[in-house]
Amino acid sequence: MQLLLIGISHRTAPVELRERVDFQVRGVAGALRALAERGSAREAVVVSTCNRAELYVACDEAAATRQDVVRFVSEYNGVPAAEVAPHIYEVVDLEVARHLFRVAAGLDSLVMGEPQILGQVKDAHTVASDTQTVGPVLNRLFHTSFAVGKRVRSETGVGSGAVSISYAAVALARKIFGDLNSRSVAVIGAGEMGKLTALHMKAQSVQHITIVSRTMAHAARTAEAIGGASAAPWEELDAVLSASDIVITATGAAAPILTKAHIEAVMRPRRNRPLFIIDIAMPRDVEAQAGEIEQVFLYNIDDLQSTVRENMARRASEVSRAESIVRDEVDKFGVWFRSRGVIPTVVALRERFEAIRRAELERLQFKLSTLPPDARARVDEITHLIVEKLLLTPTEQLKSLNDADTVGAYSEALTRLFGLSEPEERRKVEPFARNRPPTRR
Amino acid sequence: MNLVPLALYAVALVAYAWHFAQRNPVVGRSATTLLVAAALSHTFVIGMQTMEAGHVPMTGATSAISTFVWMLALSYLYLEMTTDERAMGVFILPLLVALQAIPAFNPSIEDRAEVLQGPLFGIHVSSLLFAYASFALACVVGITYVLLFKEIKAKHLGFFYARLPSLQVLDRMNQGAIVIGWIFLTIGIIVGAFWAAQARGGYSALDPRVQAMSLQDPKIFVALVCWLVYSFELFAARRIGWGGRRAAYLSAVGFLIVLFNFVPISYFFSKSHNF
Repeated sequence: MQLLLIGISHRTAPVELRERVDFQVRGVAGALRALAERGSAREAVVVSTCNRAELYVACDEAAATRQDVVRFVSEYNGVPAAEVAPHIYEVVDLEVARHLFRVAAGLDSLVMGEPQILGQVKDAHTVASDTQTVGPVLNRLFHTSFAVGKRVRSETGVGSGAVSISYAAVALARKIFGDLNSRSVAVIGAGEMGKLTALHMKAQSVQHITIVSRTMAHAARTAEAIGGASAAPWEELDAVLSASDIVITATGAAAPILTKAHIEAVMRPRRNRPLFIIDIAMPRDVEAQAGEIEQVFLYNIDDLQSTVRENMARRASEVSRAESIVRDEVDKFGVWFRSRGVIPTVVALRERFEAIRRAELERLQFKLSTLPPDARARVDEITHLIVEKLLLTPTEQLKSLNDADTVGAYSEALTRLFGLSEPEERRKVEPFARNRPPTRR
Repeated sequence: MNLVPLALYAVALVAYAWHFAQRNPVVGRSATTLLVAAALSHTFVIGMQTMEAGHVPMTGATSAISTFVWMLALSYLYLEMTTDERAMGVFILPLLVALQAIPAFNPSIEDRAEVLQGPLFGIHVSSLLFAYASFALACVVGITYVLLFKEIKAKHLGFFYARLPSLQVLDRMNQGAIVIGWIFLTIGIIVGAFWAAQARGGYSALDPRVQAMSLQDPKIFVALVCWLVYSFELFAARRIGWGGRRAAYLSAVGFLIVLFNFVPISYFFSKSHNF
């Protein structure tokens, strides 16, 4: 059995092409069934996201299957082969495992370490599993990739730290306040920026959002658009500030609307409860000196941007650790994968022994028939046990082999010594994995 | 046998430091397991000493330290298990190792002076030791609060930002530990005063140590200073908004006084508490 991967991704293809080679349009399950009907693959999983379309295949002959799968990609999506071919990458053998593990860990993503991809890989496996196009090899490969994704995320910083401004703001708020459920948010300014930020905060299920604007009607309209928020007139600004934990300022004012003295005055009735001010206005709405007040945390758009940059750099610096986890897991998978090469030989050997046993029992049928039934049953049992015992050690030894050359040599020797049939002949009995019951762990 | 808990605490310290740096969950779990093993072996040692002496070993200066370390380890484990936060371990373990080194290398002989018989004395010492353990936790939590606070204020979100729980959680832990510590400190001091008064009226009134029990004795004086510091902190946090960083600083100052009172003063200066 060989592993093969055919795919395009954001690294190799422009978005115009990725849009056309998108298996999600007609459904991944349909694509899997169509691929299965071609008969070139024994197992298949399609991973299709907006950034990649990849076909993971287990097959007997990678060279032949490769051509057929590339043809399938072009035919199924109705994109001329000449257009797709230059953007396609082909990976074989254990490099397939390395690629999938890197994908699952987010190392191949546009945004390094992003977490969604692991879920998408899991979904891809589930669909293939439901469509019955996965067998033992891809099952093992994908389950290992889930574990790799988890390991990389928990053992390295590749996925840590917010890499967008709004997430950076939310992450900061969480680091200051812990749970945001019981926190109140004030948004000053009813413009588009303020509204977007308020919506983002609402998604974090904060307790309450108040919109303050110089024009009460604007504030009311924005509050209504957000839903579940309330509006307050400009005169109540101080009261709203005192009652809030997080303040987002996004007005178009030319001069700061909140001075240091102003915030100091607001902090007094709060008894120094922490206040997190996010100033996303340009020019700034809050005097920079306000950040000097104890328990006031003031971040403007540049500060957030620079934390995002730092996070990106930190993620990048963790890549080598993540890669070593991937290497580690590819090696482990390799041991298992190579040991599978002996399975046909093991099966053939057992079949041969069992056939001999049956033949001998058959031959002695005449003599055995004189025995009482329970004695006959004992004979059957004992001969069975003898065969099992004879095969136990060789089977264990074969399964513990882990390099392809040794496996080949052993299989060859056993085939000759015991006159076993050629593996190819047996494989034909069992054409495509979808005919088998689904195997799930 | 005395060295086993110390060795295990030291190994656990290495594991906690490793976990803090690498954030590997397996290392983290091993660190906790090692600390549990250390605490268990320590329990065993203290249990053996109790059997030998017929009472919990806390009258000798160094055995009181050992009992304190044991209580602190258990309190920390409780905190870790209830909050699922392992980051504080790397700050608490050095204290455990440093303090445990004293009793491990100078085991004191437990001969309880006659004046120390009776249940009041036991309550006095054990509630004070427990108070000190709480203050130690508050101090460590306070230090981590300040470290995180500084990073957020400086807008340079890095090492501690990625490893510590939120400021709010740290502040709550700090306050909780101080409230518990303050309650036990108060109980310990009151019971101590009561016991001293009893001892003066009893047959051991002529013991010079009992006679030295007054506010002029450094150990008693510093303990009262401690009580004032922590009372002020509790008041300030609730009434004048001195939560957060100021409370964290105060808890560090308070614990430094506790530590000073606990080790050098007991050894060298106190005339009343050198049993």
